[in-house]
Amino acid sequence: MNRILSIISTSLAWALGILWLFPLLYAIWASIHPSEFVTRFELFAPLTLDNFREAWNQAPFLRYMINTVAITMLILGGQLILCTLAAYALARMEFKGRSLVFALVLMQLMVVPEILIVENYQTLAGLKLIDTYWGVALPYFASAFGIFLLRQTFKTVPEDLENAARVEGCSLLGTIWHIYVPLAKPTYLAFSLVSISYHWNNFLWPLVVTNTEKSRPLTVGMSIFGAPESGVDWAVISAGTLISVGPLLIVFILFQRQFVQSFMQAGIK
Amino acid sequence: MMSDFLSVSNLSRSYGEFHAVNDISFSAKQGEFIALLGPSGCGKSTTLKMIAGLELPTAGKIEINGSDVVNTPPGKRNLSMVFQSYALFPHMSVKENILFGLKARKVQKQERNKRLNEAVEMVDLGPHINKKPGQLSGGQCQRVALARTIVSNAPLCLMDEPLSNLDTKLRAEMRSEIRSLQRKLGLTVVYVTHDQIEAMSMADSIILLNEGRIEQASTPEAFYEHPETPFVAKFIGHPPMNLIAFDDLLVGVRPEHIGLVEQGGLAVSVVECDYQGSETILTTSFKESTIRLSLAGKRVLAPGAAVNIQWVPENEHHFSSSSGQRIERTNSVMNS
Amino acid sequence: MSDSLHLDNYRYLLEDEVLLQVLSNSFWYAAITVPVSIALAIAMALWVNTKLRGVGLLRLAYFTPTVLPMISVANIWLFFYSTEIGLLNNILGYFGADAVNWLGDPDISLYSLMAMTIWKEAGFFMIFYLAALQTISPDLYHAAALENASRWTIFKRITFPLLMPTTLFVLVNAILNAFKLVDHLFILTKGGPNNSSNLLLYYIFENAFSFFDTAYASALTVLLLIILVFLALLQFGVLEKRVHYR
Repeated sequence: MNRILSIISTSLAWALGILWLFPLLYAIWASIHPSEFVTRFELFAPLTLDNFREAWNQAPFLRYMINTVAITMLILGGQLILCTLAAYALARMEFKGRSLVFALVLMQLMVVPEILIVENYQTLAGLKLIDTYWGVALPYFASAFGIFLLRQTFKTVPEDLENAARVEGCSLLGTIWHIYVPLAKPTYLAFSLVSISYHWNNFLWPLVVTNTEKSRPLTVGMSIFGAPESGVDWAVISAGTLISVGPLLIVFILFQRQFVQSFMQAGIK
Repeated sequence: MMSDFLSVSNLSRSYGEFHAVNDISFSAKQGEFIALLGPSGCGKSTTLKMIAGLELPTAGKIEINGSDVVNTPPGKRNLSMVFQSYALFPHMSVKENILFGLKARKVQKQERNKRLNEAVEMVDLGPHINKKPGQLSGGQCQRVALARTIVSNAPLCLMDEPLSNLDTKLRAEMRSEIRSLQRKLGLTVVYVTHDQIEAMSMADSIILLNEGRIEQASTPEAFYEHPETPFVAKFIGHPPMNLIAFDDLLVGVRPEHIGLVEQGGLAVSVVECDYQGSETILTTSFKESTIRLSLAGKRVLAPGAAVNIQWVPENEHHFSSSSGQRIERTNSVMNS
Repeated sequence: MSDSLHLDNYRYLLEDEVLLQVLSNSFWYAAITVPVSIALAIAMALWVNTKLRGVGLLRLAYFTPTVLPMISVANIWLFFYSTEIGLLNNILGYFGADAVNWLGDPDISLYSLMAMTIWKEAGFFMIFYLAALQTISPDLYHAAALENASRWTIFKRITFPLLMPTTLFVLVNAILNAFKLVDHLFILTKGGPNNSSNLLLYYIFENAFSFFDTAYASALTVLLLIILVFLALLQFGVLEKRVHYR
């Protein structure tokens, strides 16, 4: 009885696993075979890279990719600097209204920038940052998630370590850099992976704030890639999709363990 | 007469209504070893942190080597500090830990290495300098913390309960090691502890704090032989001094100064007899007071037995039971 | 912002029938995707937490949708759903069933969106449960094994109650995600047909950037903020509870 249950349970687990991987597996199938095999599954169908060539020529993927990398890095850099300083202040400095500021940060965990597309668009238009990397990046710099995560980590650093550093003649910024940052390394890694995968995939805000190839990231590029309604070639679409998810997917598969652990760690806090 | 190297005057620190440190003054000469002693919450650590600059006083003055340092940041006070937790940076090797302060102060590399080698030799850390603190024993961590002090070349060293995380045997070893290091380097040390043995055995002078105030400041000998208040009398010595009420007097006698006699003295009854190897602690009751005796060797006395006890008048301390102040000896209660 | 304070916009909120439809869609969207994703997430976490062979691969499979951009994968899903050559209808045809207009039928389009949302979210929530499961002491299971408790009893009496704080936490996050995850609408349905699959955030986008009615979009944003602040307060309550559990 228990044995049968075990088998059923294991089969269900794998069935679900295959179902979950299916869109990706399918995209790979469709992209490496000629169009007529999009709905015909033959094990020995001829292989081809034409679809990738076609997709690559249909849209400026290289430009999109450069934009995505630049935007993701700009956001991550801004977040790391701002969140570190804010988290330190909220964890270790005493000032009036600290708990109010912290409550506002927590509130922002809920009210993510996507919700405020209309207002943020107006603000950035006022700053003349529409269709620039900075325009895409700016609303995400003060990440409430990053501040919260780092504050929790900084609070676990023994205060005596900071005292020792200060007695030894280290400045405030020096203390943050030499003591707090190295001790929070796992948190930085976790936050960075979460942030990179979030912004690599982010769509709505970049769609609103970019107008041209100059700043458009991969996701926005993909949304205007081909016009699926007008009987477009699914094999080419699949190839384009794989090109757009490829870099992140490769990084993910290589660092699978760290990714999962990072998301877990970020989730527990 | 040599001028004071460290001088603390009218220092106070309060948190709202609570006075952690309440108007205390003391000073230390160059090369002097001062112990700040007291029960937990007496303000000794707060005082140390104020000297270090890690905590700001609400009032008072701190002078190091003749200059007022109240507004000087910790790193510029030219002092070193050893923490109860050792405060070793867990992500750095022993070597990096020792050199941290010198790098922060931008000391030349050659000079850094010279000082490192001297310090490592002095505290015997040679084989461990590339290890991380997590790989060291408690005693070794303690040595790294001391090495940090040595390389700093700072004339003043503050120690905050540095031995409380070590086991008894190691503690005794480190006591003499710290003391000899201090003498060799001519350091002025302010040493915070709650352990009377550390204070008595290491310090040139002891400052006993109680509820933010100085209860007594004097040499270890004076603490034992001449306690100023009943609090001091009870704090120093093990088991603590007996305080017996006689009319408006509190009479203090140390357990080790009381003996059993065949007749005369004080008639008391045995409550408990506690054999501890080299001595036996005898608890007796006299009227409403409890009197403990420390007797050499093994003694067996049944609870309830009536015995007579006696001490020599010179070992008697008198305190006014109303003001709590010491009264120079009047008549011994033994004679009355 | 100043013109959005104009009361007319708020009065229009009350009369806007599309809004009513959108709110109802958003409600059902959350009410169905959230519990299904959570149930799947718990099952996935339990499977992945065992010592089965190939668990690493299984975990990778479940988690992959989390790191894929929704907008790109929506293109693949669009092909699955497409009426003539779509994969789903091909499969239905194989079994002799009639083709379904997955995205074009107003009664079905919202459910088609939900399926993709669940696919995207379940693996993400699995991670939180996996983290929680790994903190449960094995002693509890040993004790239960001594009592000869059945698997279902163990789950009901031990695992599920211990996962409760995680569930509350995931619940609020899932509801929040249900309000902000609209990327796939841009590819799959564009809110249609006839607003049958329109969601609040997409409706805000439409008003601001397709109909250029910034003022009304701002009023809608305020409405969304009120909903989120309410959820935020709920989460503070939940977090408070989490503290008590520990």
